[in-house]
Amino acid sequence: MATRNELIKKRYFVFFVLPLLAAFTVGFIIPFIEGVWLSFCRFTVIDNASFTGIKNYISAFGDKGFRAALWFTVKTALVMVLLINTAGFVFAVILTREIKGTAVFRTVLFMPNLIGGIVLGYIWQIIINYVLSVVGAPLLALNSTAGYWGIIILMCWQQIGYVMIIYIAALQSIPDEMSEAAQIDGATYLQTLFKIKLPMLFSSIMICVFITLTNAFKLFDQNLALTSGEPAHATEMLALNIYNNFYARPGLMWRGIGQAKAVIFCIIVVMIACAQFRLTKEKDGEYNE
Amino acid sequence: MKMKRAGYFFKSFITAIAVLMLGGCTNLHKPSVYYLNYKAEQDEAWHRLAKEYTERTGIQVDIVTAASGNYETTLMSEMGKSSAPTMFQIQGSNDVQNWKDYCYDLSKTGIEDELTSDVYALKSEDKTVAVAFTLETYGIITNKTLLEKAGYSADEINSFDKLRSVAEDITKCKDELGFCAFTSAGMDESSAWRYKIHLANMPIYFEYRDKGINTSDKIDGTYLNNFRSIYDLYINNATVKGSELAAKTMDDARNEFIGKKAVFYQNGSWEYNALTESGAFSDDELMMLPIYCGTENEENQGLCTGTENYWCINSTVMQEDIDATVDFIKWCQTDPYAEKFMAEQMGFVCPFKNAEESKNVFMKQDDEMTKKGYIPVGWAFSTSPSYEWNNTLGSALTKYAASGDDDCWKDVEKCFTAKWAEEYELLKEG
Amino acid sequence: MSKKEKSIDLFFTVIMTAVSVIYVYPIFAIFINSLKKESAIGTNTVFKMPDTQTFAGLANYSDAVSAKGFIPAFLLSVFITVTSVAALLVFCSMCAWYIVRVNNRLTKLIYGLFVFSMIVPFQLVMFSLSQTADRLFLNSPWTIWLVYLGFGAGLAVFMFAGFIRSVPIDVEEAAVIDGCSPIQTYFLVVFPMLKPTLISVGILQTMWIWNDYLLPTLVLDIKKYKTVPMLIQYFRGSYGSVQMGPMMACIMLTVLPAAVFYLVLQKYIVKGIAAGAVKG
Repeated sequence: MATRNELIKKRYFVFFVLPLLAAFTVGFIIPFIEGVWLSFCRFTVIDNASFTGIKNYISAFGDKGFRAALWFTVKTALVMVLLINTAGFVFAVILTREIKGTAVFRTVLFMPNLIGGIVLGYIWQIIINYVLSVVGAPLLALNSTAGYWGIIILMCWQQIGYVMIIYIAALQSIPDEMSEAAQIDGATYLQTLFKIKLPMLFSSIMICVFITLTNAFKLFDQNLALTSGEPAHATEMLALNIYNNFYARPGLMWRGIGQAKAVIFCIIVVMIACAQFRLTKEKDGEYNE
Repeated sequence: MKMKRAGYFFKSFITAIAVLMLGGCTNLHKPSVYYLNYKAEQDEAWHRLAKEYTERTGIQVDIVTAASGNYETTLMSEMGKSSAPTMFQIQGSNDVQNWKDYCYDLSKTGIEDELTSDVYALKSEDKTVAVAFTLETYGIITNKTLLEKAGYSADEINSFDKLRSVAEDITKCKDELGFCAFTSAGMDESSAWRYKIHLANMPIYFEYRDKGINTSDKIDGTYLNNFRSIYDLYINNATVKGSELAAKTMDDARNEFIGKKAVFYQNGSWEYNALTESGAFSDDELMMLPIYCGTENEENQGLCTGTENYWCINSTVMQEDIDATVDFIKWCQTDPYAEKFMAEQMGFVCPFKNAEESKNVFMKQDDEMTKKGYIPVGWAFSTSPSYEWNNTLGSALTKYAASGDDDCWKDVEKCFTAKWAEEYELLKEG
Repeated sequence: MSKKEKSIDLFFTVIMTAVSVIYVYPIFAIFINSLKKESAIGTNTVFKMPDTQTFAGLANYSDAVSAKGFIPAFLLSVFITVTSVAALLVFCSMCAWYIVRVNNRLTKLIYGLFVFSMIVPFQLVMFSLSQTADRLFLNSPWTIWLVYLGFGAGLAVFMFAGFIRSVPIDVEEAAVIDGCSPIQTYFLVVFPMLKPTLISVGILQTMWIWNDYLLPTLVLDIKKYKTVPMLIQYFRGSYGSVQMGPMMACIMLTVLPAAVFYLVLQKYIVKGIAAGAVKG
């Protein structure tokens, strides 16, 4: 691939990458390093942090609630990623067929993204509780199964439109000639879709899976508003567990433990992401050399 | 050629950033006050009072309100900034643990001397770290008109047994009367604090009273049966079934009370504006009953009076700003205009020597009762080991409200006995 | 189009209509409640249409707009959103192109860092972010775009890089042969080809920044500046009381421009842009 390196000389790094890298350093790298440092400290605010070693990590691992939250998050995230991406993809395919009302449907499916998570959480809480009381089941605050599915339904409702946008853009950047050629060769619609288009969408699918996965792991607003972890922390996800460390207990050590949990959480997601990228690499050799 | 263009762009980018940064540095420091306020209700009034102060003294007073739920995050972030709040709020002794290093000692400023009683100052070691600025009281808010319709008068209710017989009688005839005894004891996050914090005060307070202590890392639970009786009374005589309480909000309960669907409503003096502003109630129609729960000598029991509103001064800002803030607080405590403003516009009942009398019906009633010799119930709930403890209690109470069975009540009891001690252990580590 | 395909399309239209109803309903619920009186908004009454007794007209809207300084906050939110999204689109797409086309260790590392930033929970960086921004004087509306650029770069670079990988390199090579500098190649050839991605990234970032509460609260000088999501929080008082009416009205007022913006933009995700550009 000699041509590529001739295409842009490396010195253009200054123009293309450096401005963003500077902002990224300020907006992410410095705060991140400080955040990791704080996970080894006891602090009120950053200025008075005092180093305490790995004490915070020991407490974090010893916290039963944290382990439970971790497991609950994994359980929720996997189902969510699967449902959101399948549905988002199906809707994107339907809405690129240019059926009647496509413009309206696209808008409507995206609408949940226009409103912040907290408010949507409250609205869905009322709706789900209403349905539960009609069927005579225990309400959300007493019913961890309903809480689990409630979070999944809420997130599907909100994120299907999000990934749909990405899938639609990707589907539409596939040249028409390709599917036309396939159809001339006698391929059916579904064959064209799965054999020709799906492989071309591979990078988009990976993008969407990764985005939905990280969103699921970082989920906070909706969790807080819909169940706030009730009953008794049974529906508490990681971010909420970390947040509760900051607020639910007095004593400065808890802030450091919260930071430590966040670091542990990062490491776990990195491991999952690496596994995902390895999968991607095997299947997608031509793009990642 | 191309390289030059890129280099030029880069240079101008850096210059732009440098110019922006310098712009921030040029203003000289003038003493000023920056108050991070917790109650969104009073935000507008604080802005007006601050403006008045600036007009009189020329000292800039900035007011920022971080609504509940976001206060601690905002405080943590603002305290780390170069222009940190000079004055902030804490809620009680648990917050002192977290913020004592940032609290300026108020004992020598004269601020503490303006308090009507020592109990309104929070101390840490030998420092006075915070002073209360408004008192509140809670109990069972009663709609007198409806109570009379049901054939009773508020004066006859002076014990738990009497309260129960009235409530149960109203429940019996609720269809004819068209209203219930109690508003929904909602256990949604917006409303659950009325039970997991305020009602839970009763067993803690009475146990402390018997032992003659103010705080403890162990609760025996001597008064848990009383706690159960009053909670049962609330759920069994309410507008909705116990199983529905889990989802009921603060707004639901308030709307029921305003809509005259129920006679009794456990809440506090802070509700006064919400109840009277809309024109739903006149002062004469409202009164507050003590939360009777069947303890000895309860005919002398008063309302639950205390505070969760304390001012602190940030000790880490420049001395000029600290001095300016001390002056501002003193002005709020002593100036007749400020006193009047805080009483009338903000509805505060300030524990200051020169404080203006409040128009708040419930606070006035509390004052009268105390003068007549009723003994106010203190806010012992502020000694709870953590908010985590209150949440655990909330979950247990919600579960009990839905089922009403003894097993669920055992979880509530465990909360007081085992969980309280457990959380205190963790507190010691922290 | 064959008859069979037509009936399939009709079937899809019916299905999508049903799905749409489920999708719109919660938002519709916010809308009808924004027209009700405070005392008529509760968990029992939330589904009820306003009647003569509970209908508040536009009172909640006028409360939201007049009493709480809605208009300055609105303009500020618009300004912050526009500058931040513009910066994100330009700088991130540029960076992503370089990273994809110059494939060496350094760019791989940088790309890895960007992707990593997507994983990190906000709670881990929020306090240090607010202090870093404060120290570098990035706490004004004129400069907060730099923070958004840095913090939002991960998602944007990740998406751009993904799409640029699937864009054939031929056109760019042709441009270089025609004598274009890399900067010209990028802005004249690559940037226009990225249009569908620019729009989808633009939409997603706009929705994030427009609705973002926590980051501006932590970063901005809150003594002087308030955005709309910060304003909405003011309807939430102490002791669990929430002014639901004005709050719902305020939410509707923020949804409206976002919806219009989305409608206008999504029209431009049109078919075959890349197809037209890449022949052969």
